[in-house]
Amino acid sequence: MSMDEKVDLDPERKQEILDLEQKLGNNNLFEFLGVSNGASAEDVRTAFRELSRKFHPDRYFGKQLGSFKVRLDKIFKKLVEANQTLTDDVRRAAYLEANPFVRAAIRNAGAAQAPPIAAAPKTEDEKQHDEERRARLARHPYLLKTNKLQEFVSRAKDAIAKKEFSQAFTHLNQASQADPNNVEVKNLLAEVRKQNDIQRSEGSFKHGVEALARGDDNLALQAFKSAANGGHVLGAFKAASMLDAANGDPREIKTLAQKAVDGEPKNVEYRLLLARSLEAAGMKAMAKKHFEEAARLEPDNPEVKKHVKKRWPF
Amino acid sequence: MAEREPVIGIDLGTTNSVVATLQGAAPAVIKSRSGSTLTPSIVALTKTGKTLVGEIAKRQAVTNPESTVYSAKRLIGRKFSAKQTQQAVKNLSYRVETGDHDDIRIRLGDKTLSLPEVSAMVLRELKLDAEAFFGKPVRKAVITVPAYFNDGQRQATKDAGRIAGLEVLRILNEPTAAALAYGFGKNVNGKIAVFDLGGGTFDISVLEVGSGVFDVIATGGDTYLGGEDFDGRVIDWLAADFQKEHSIDLKADRMALQRLKQAAEKAKIELSTARETQLNLPFICTPAGGGGALHLQKTLTREKLEELCADLVARTVTICEQVFAEARVKTIDLKEMILVGGMTRMPRVQDAVKEYFRRDPCRGVHPDEVVALGAAVQADALTNEESDVVLLDVTPQSLGVAIAGGYVRTLIQKNTTVPTSFTEVFNTSRDNQTTVKIMVLQGESDLAHKNELLGEFILTGLRQAKRGEVEVDVTFEINSEGIVSVSARDRETGQQQSIQVTASGGLTEDELKRILDEQADLMLEAKVEEEVKTKQTELKALMKEVTELMPQLTEATRGDEFGQDALRKANKALEVARPAAERGDLVKVTESIDTLTRTISLFKGVLQRIGR
Repeated sequence: MSMDEKVDLDPERKQEILDLEQKLGNNNLFEFLGVSNGASAEDVRTAFRELSRKFHPDRYFGKQLGSFKVRLDKIFKKLVEANQTLTDDVRRAAYLEANPFVRAAIRNAGAAQAPPIAAAPKTEDEKQHDEERRARLARHPYLLKTNKLQEFVSRAKDAIAKKEFSQAFTHLNQASQADPNNVEVKNLLAEVRKQNDIQRSEGSFKHGVEALARGDDNLALQAFKSAANGGHVLGAFKAASMLDAANGDPREIKTLAQKAVDGEPKNVEYRLLLARSLEAAGMKAMAKKHFEEAARLEPDNPEVKKHVKKRWPF
Repeated sequence: MAEREPVIGIDLGTTNSVVATLQGAAPAVIKSRSGSTLTPSIVALTKTGKTLVGEIAKRQAVTNPESTVYSAKRLIGRKFSAKQTQQAVKNLSYRVETGDHDDIRIRLGDKTLSLPEVSAMVLRELKLDAEAFFGKPVRKAVITVPAYFNDGQRQATKDAGRIAGLEVLRILNEPTAAALAYGFGKNVNGKIAVFDLGGGTFDISVLEVGSGVFDVIATGGDTYLGGEDFDGRVIDWLAADFQKEHSIDLKADRMALQRLKQAAEKAKIELSTARETQLNLPFICTPAGGGGALHLQKTLTREKLEELCADLVARTVTICEQVFAEARVKTIDLKEMILVGGMTRMPRVQDAVKEYFRRDPCRGVHPDEVVALGAAVQADALTNEESDVVLLDVTPQSLGVAIAGGYVRTLIQKNTTVPTSFTEVFNTSRDNQTTVKIMVLQGESDLAHKNELLGEFILTGLRQAKRGEVEVDVTFEINSEGIVSVSARDRETGQQQSIQVTASGGLTEDELKRILDEQADLMLEAKVEEEVKTKQTELKALMKEVTELMPQLTEATRGDEFGQDALRKANKALEVARPAAERGDLVKVTESIDTLTRTISLFKGVLQRIGR
C-alpha cells in the first residue's frame, strides 16, 4: 500500500497527505481547508498559510517522494484554488451561488450554534401593533429589509452584551443575508468571531485545569490543545509543557510553544521551552536563536545560564 | 553529518550582479576575486580575441564600444521584432541582430551570441568567485529575476544558468528575495512592501509575513523602467543640446555614445548627494568637414535631472497604486517598507516613495545586496531540512489563450499563488480535424495582440471523428518559478496528446543542446591541454636525465661496441623527443616518453653490468 512505499517522508506526514488526498473530491472548500463553514477571508488565508507549511511542494524539494509527489502537487493546487476562491469576494459569491449545498452548510453552521430564540408571549396590544406593522412593511420592501436588518443587529448587540456569542453569530448571519454588503454587520461578525474564539478557548482552558485537578492528564492535554487552537497563550504553554514532560513529539511541542511565544514574546519560560523543543527536533540553528533571545531577556535565569554555558563554553 | 554541498544565490542584475551564500545563521555576500561585492554585468571581446567579464570589461568599454555588451538583461527572453527591443537597440553601442526565430543575437567579433550565452558568461564569473571562496566546485544556485518577468524571460535566464554549468534550483522573484532577506531570522509578523527600482526594471510587491511563511499578496512592475532609463534621459538631453549647437548627432558615433552613457550614469549618481555636477567630455568628436575636435561641457543640476525624469518617477507611483488596489491593502496597514535597487538612492525617488507610503523606508537593508542575500536564503531553504522558511509566491501576469475575434480568455489570474494549474476543454470544430492550435498569452489586455505571445501549441494526432466529438483536456501549469508548461489529454481515450511549441523567442531545445555540447567540447579541450602540459613536463625531465647520464656512459663504455650502440640509440631518441616536447602533440609526446624511459633503464642496466 501507499503507506509502505519507501520515500523520504515520515509516516505521520504520509498519513496526513493521504488523508487530505481523500478530501480532494470534496467540493466544500471550507471543509477542505479545515475551517468552519462560512469562515471569513482572513481565517481562510490563515488556514491556507498553515497548511502550506506542510503541503507546499518546496518543503520536500529534492526529496525522493515517489507517488507522493503527484499527491502533494494535487493537494497544493487545490489549496491554492480554495484560498483563491474564498478570499476574493466576487469568486466566493460565484462559488456559493454554484454550490447550494455549501450555502446550506453555512446556514446550518449558524443555526446549530444557537437554537432559535423562543419569542416572549405577546400581549393583545402588541399583537395588534405587530399586525399593523407587518401589513405596512409588506407594502414597502425596502423598509422591510432595513427593519429586519436593524432588528437582527440589535438582537445581536444584546447577545454580545450578554457574552452569548453563538447567539449573536446567528443573528448576524441572518442580518447579513438581508444585506450582504452592510459594513456594520461585517464588523460585528468579525468581532463576534474573535470574542467567540476567546471565550471558547478560555472555556477549554478551564476544562483543562479541572481535568488536571482530577488527575485526568489525557483529557487535560486535549483541552489545553484546543484552547491553544483558539489562541489561548497559557493553554498553548501548558499543552507544550505536558507533552514535553511526557517526551512527546518535539515538533508538536515546537508548534505549541511557538504559539505561546508568539503570544508573549517576552516570556523567558515559554521561549526556553520552544528552544528546547527545537533542539530536540533537530533544528539547531533556530534553537540557538531562541536560547540567545532568552539570554537577552533574562541573562540571570539559571536555566538560561545552563544552556548558554553548555553550548558556548567560552 | 556529511558536510553539505555549497549552494549560492545570484542576483543577476541589469548593471551589476552579486553572489551570496548562507554562512552560519546569516546570509553574506561573496566578494569577487578582485575584492568587490558588485560585479558589473558586462562582457567584452578584446581585439586580441580575449573574453573579459565584469569590472575589467567595464574599464575598457569606452575604447572598445562595439564589442562590449552591457544591459543584456534588458534584451534577454525578448523577441527581436518587439517594440521595446527596437527602442533599446537605438541606445546600445554594440550590434544587435535577429536570429532564426525572431530571437535576438549579439554580434561579438566574428561570432553571434544568444542572450543566454552572454548572461552565462557573467554567471560563470560569479560561479568562479564562489568556488574561490569555498575552495571547491559550486554547482547549485538560485538566480533572481524581476517579479514582472514573463515566461520567456524566466526560461532564458534559466538557460543562461545551465550554460554556465549551474544547476538552477529556482528562479526567484527579486522583491520576494529582498523580503526573505529582510525577514529571515527575525520574528516579523505583518504586511510589508518591497519597492525595487534597479538598473533596468521596476517591481513592487506586497507580502504578508508570519512565522517563517512569506506570502506574496500582489506584485506588479515594468521590465523597462530602471536606472538605464534615467541615464537615457540625460544622454538624450546632452545629445540634443550638442546637435542644436554643432548639428552633429553624437548618438550615431558608438564611441561617443559609450562615453555619454558613462558620464550620464556618473552624473546621476553624484546628484544623489550633490546639488549639481559637471559633465566634461573633451574631444568627444571631430567634425566631418574638418576643423578642431569638439568638446562637451555641461552643468547638470539636481532639479534639471528631476525634471528630465519626472514622468519615470511618476510611473513607479502609478504602478504602486494599481498593485495596492489589487492587493486590497492600505499603505497605512504596512508594517515595513523596503527599498531595493541602486535607483532608490535618488532623493526624488525617496521623496515620492515617502509621500505615497506616508512613512520612512526601512533602514539597515543594503539596496544593492539584499536581493542576492535573499536568493541565498532561498537556496538554503530548498536544500536544508532544518529551514523553516516557506515561500508563497505569485504569478505576476495573467495567463490566457486567444479566442475567436482576437480576444483573450484568461485561465489563470495574475497574483495567483504558484505552483498552480488550470485545465480547459478544447473541442474540434471540423469533422476529422486532427490538429488544434492554441495560442498561449501572458498579459492583462482583453485583446490578444496586446499581450505577450508565449508560444503556439499545436495538438497533433487527434483521433478522427465528427466535429465537437473530440474533447481534449489541456492543462496549463505555472510552476514555482513562474514558468509555464502545457500538456494535453484526450478526454475519452485518456491518451496523452503530443504538443509542439512554435513561435517562442527563447532558445530551442536543439540550440540549447548545441551550446551545452560546445561547452562540453571546450571543457574537454581544456582537459586535454592540461594533460599534454603534464606529459610535456614529464618528457622534459626524462630528457634532462638522459642527457646527464650520457657523459657517464660514454666514459664507462669507451671502446665497447655494445655501449656505442646504446649511445647512438639514445641520441636518436633525444632528437625525436626535442620537437615533441616543444610542440605538444599528445601522441608524439607519449611515444617519446616511452622511448626515453626504455633508454634510461638500458643505460642503468649497462652501468650495472660494468659494475659501477
